[in-house]
Amino acid sequence: MLHQRMAALACGLALGTPVAAIAQDGPLTVAMHYTQEQAAPLLACLDAYEADGVTAEYQQISYRDYLQTVLTGRLGGQSPDIYNVYSIWAAQMVDNGVLDAPPVAVSKLVSETYSAGTVDAVTIDGTVWGVPTEVSAYMLVSNMALLREAGYDAPPATWEELREIARTVTARNEQGRIETAGFAFADSSSGAGFVHPFYALLYSEGARPYSDDFSEANLDGPEAEAALERMAELVGDGITDLSVDAYDFPAGGIGMMIMANWLESEIRAGFGDSFEEDVVVSPIPAGADWRTLQYAFFMGVDSNSDRKEAAWDLVRHLNAPREDGPSCMGEMLSGLGALTANTADNAAMGEPDAFTAPYLAALEEGRAVSQPNVMQAAEIEGMMAQTFERVLAGDAEAGPALESLDGEVEDILFEFY
Amino acid sequence: MSAPDPIVAGETAGVAATRRLLSGGALRRHAGGVLKYALLALGAGLMILPFADMFVGALRGPADVYANPPRYLPSEPQWGVYARVFAELPMTRWFANSVIVTGLITAAQVATSVTAGYALAKYEFRGRASIFQLVVGAQMFPFFLFIIPIFFLLRFVPLMGGNDIAGQGGSGLLGTYAALCLPFIVTWYGVFLMRQFFMGIPDDLMEAARLDGASEYRIFRSIMLPLVKPAIATLTLFSFVYHWNEFIWTMTVTRSAPELQTLPVGIYLLQGAFESLDQKSLQQAALAVSILPVIVVFLALQRLFAASDTANAWQGGK
Amino acid sequence: MRPRTPRVVDGPAVGGWAPWLFLAPLLVFAFVFFLLPLGFSVWLSFTRWNPLGAPSWVGLRQFEYLLTRDDTFWRTVVNTFVFAFGFVAIGVPLALLLAFAFSRARGKAIWRQIYYLPQLTNIVAIAYLWQFVLDDRDGLINRALGAIGLRGPDWLTDPTMAMVSVVLVMIWYDAGKNMLIFSAALDGVDRAIYDAATLDGAGAWRTLRSVTLPIIRPAFTFVTITSFITGMGFFSLILAMTGGGPRGATEVTALYTYRMAFEDLRMGRASAGALILFAIIGALSLLQFRALRERSR
Repeated sequence: MLHQRMAALACGLALGTPVAAIAQDGPLTVAMHYTQEQAAPLLACLDAYEADGVTAEYQQISYRDYLQTVLTGRLGGQSPDIYNVYSIWAAQMVDNGVLDAPPVAVSKLVSETYSAGTVDAVTIDGTVWGVPTEVSAYMLVSNMALLREAGYDAPPATWEELREIARTVTARNEQGRIETAGFAFADSSSGAGFVHPFYALLYSEGARPYSDDFSEANLDGPEAEAALERMAELVGDGITDLSVDAYDFPAGGIGMMIMANWLESEIRAGFGDSFEEDVVVSPIPAGADWRTLQYAFFMGVDSNSDRKEAAWDLVRHLNAPREDGPSCMGEMLSGLGALTANTADNAAMGEPDAFTAPYLAALEEGRAVSQPNVMQAAEIEGMMAQTFERVLAGDAEAGPALESLDGEVEDILFEFY
Repeated sequence: MSAPDPIVAGETAGVAATRRLLSGGALRRHAGGVLKYALLALGAGLMILPFADMFVGALRGPADVYANPPRYLPSEPQWGVYARVFAELPMTRWFANSVIVTGLITAAQVATSVTAGYALAKYEFRGRASIFQLVVGAQMFPFFLFIIPIFFLLRFVPLMGGNDIAGQGGSGLLGTYAALCLPFIVTWYGVFLMRQFFMGIPDDLMEAARLDGASEYRIFRSIMLPLVKPAIATLTLFSFVYHWNEFIWTMTVTRSAPELQTLPVGIYLLQGAFESLDQKSLQQAALAVSILPVIVVFLALQRLFAASDTANAWQGGK
Repeated sequence: MRPRTPRVVDGPAVGGWAPWLFLAPLLVFAFVFFLLPLGFSVWLSFTRWNPLGAPSWVGLRQFEYLLTRDDTFWRTVVNTFVFAFGFVAIGVPLALLLAFAFSRARGKAIWRQIYYLPQLTNIVAIAYLWQFVLDDRDGLINRALGAIGLRGPDWLTDPTMAMVSVVLVMIWYDAGKNMLIFSAALDGVDRAIYDAATLDGAGAWRTLRSVTLPIIRPAFTFVTITSFITGMGFFSLILAMTGGGPRGATEVTALYTYRMAFEDLRMGRASAGALILFAIIGALSLLQFRALRERSR
């Protein structure tokens, strides 16, 4: 009986004390996917923040689970005040009423300070939903040490050349397992490792995945098939396979990959002193009209927050250039080797390094096309990734697989458009 | 709700017996013996393999993972990784939450199992058979059935966590330790186990006490409870192990409440922090830290129940 | 499982209110955390509900959709069977074999501690430890196979092998526990029976078949059925180890419905899916129980 009373008492105690973070007078919570280590400059800003008695704290949510965490948090009425939203999650968050429409001053700031392509990425149905933060684009990244060893002094300029170089670079061990891969896709849980290079190749073919009003998918066209065939033939050539992972590039076992700029800090860590000499970024070798993909994150405010005004103030504070240099966000992103579309920050930070410059150029020259902000984008891209993986693994033919994918995607579009 | 798993065997006098009956031919026995130990050793090797791999992996440094091909054995063991685990991850908070939640649940489960098991074994009353059937039957219901409804029941508790009288507007009990404990305060299996133990205790003791005029509570507290101490040790151990390791439910309700996450949940939801190659060793060290306390508690507690005939509890219930 | 009736001093009224007081927590719990959720779950399965809005009654439509139009649902049911069947068909005999060795071995305390290690380990750690060990290129196993000139399988990236891997890890996780249950049953065998069998001139094989196995049959039934039920509803290992991949090859129904609920916010359909799975598990456990009991007669 004593045990029982103690347990009842203990659970009763716990029951009566909801956690402080959801109480009104706690600090504003900023939820992002960056690790504490990556976000260190931002954390310093948050720690120092104090406006009218309002303070701020950081919450890390895993990138892979971000949307699910946000939605589950909403179900439970436990939400952070400020989000850092990947644009493909945005449509669903807006549709579920999760995001607060920013005050006029913030929307004005966004359209004045950010480049047009990036403003598109944070706009849904004509409304700007927050302040753009990290921007990413895809380029061809080559390990020149491996390429030179194979007798090539420059990264490939055409797709045929890419295949040829990759074939030469690829080395297998006695059991036939790839030891050094000429090319690699990234094995990311969201499927982005297949879907993003596909978008880049599809854009380079001059096509777009959806019709302008999102009522139709355009995945069964010849351009989509050509783009996927290109990816599949790399596996067919024996240059790469699904056990090879582009995230192993820093270890030096991968010749080339179509990859986003944010991997820079890790590649740097892997290559050490030979980074400048051995890592080269070049255009995706898909013809003179090559295009690439860009995607953006933006900072938005939860519509249930009881301090929306204070939250928007904090968002502006974190993204406004400071007297002695870039904004808190800008400083953090540049530390990661990530890009920002904040023109003031880019001016404050000066010349980009040799790795970053080609990415920035692609953004500035209009080569980088925004990822479409379609409803259920995360679910749709998951389906795309599964289809592509099947084709790459040789379980399905590109043509028929894309046709059935197109049908499934249009079923989803039909619910919304 | 789903029960900690039943049996840890205590070896009994039967061992000697079985050994004796093997005495058919010394040679055959010898060959059988070698085979027997070879099998056990092979299995034991496999049992230990992933743990050994973890301890080795935790010590690798950037020089090892960025080599091509990556080195297996660390060229220079990075012992500092265990300090990093506590410096770079909210390990102390996860650890404290694991201890609090596991402690509360274990105490509650032992208390409710002992009392309910005692009532079902030692009293005769209308409805006893039905309640016992419920206890047995409820064990058949898998946990996944309850995730969705209990999540929302807790969410809509009236007047809690900012909810109004109709249960709307706030977060209910989600975001509190109660959400982590309440769904587990009774374990059907524990009730069943305790009932089996109490059944094994002769009624004469109770009757004698009653004739002496002892109150029902006194009989329970002073006479019956001390007799089932080994069973309580067993149940404590199972509850502790099960709930220290519980994952799905805790993850579901603490996904957006990081201040309540336990060790396994925290490590799972922080995968993003472990993606780059030179963070893998940090992940392996964190896993080691999440595993070790249970092993220590197990080794400490198992002496308490190894001697008891825990296995017979199950035998009685078969 | 018939309870023995305790002897009662003076009629059924002994104790009066005492048993009800002792049972109060259990009864409250049974209502709040067992009956209520089950009822809620059944009601939900007849609705369509994105919990950020209000539920709407759709009758049997969710069941109809899952059973007749959702190919993925059926694929996950097949995966569930493969997982549970593989787990039982390999895991149970293996545990029995280990129990034979264990119950006659010296140094039991040590063996038991080693074989019980996986049971003490959280499932997230188990999933990740094996991810490291089974890594296609850099995992310990494929490195070892490579060292003797063999090409190891693609444990986690090949769809068939990924299912094999999760089944093997599940067996690894549970083998020790089942071994201890079997060995307890073996130890419970009265040595007089063996002595009698030996006197009758029964060989080892005959003794095993006609004495040992029948005696441990209850343990066998228990382990088989609980393993089966566990296997059919277990998804935390798969969630953490393969996430249901590659290409859906290890996605089991419980995981599918969990995701349906908490990723796609389709609570009604997810509840319906969970109930269908439960119905399948219930029906099959009953059949199994009957079959195993029949044979023991």
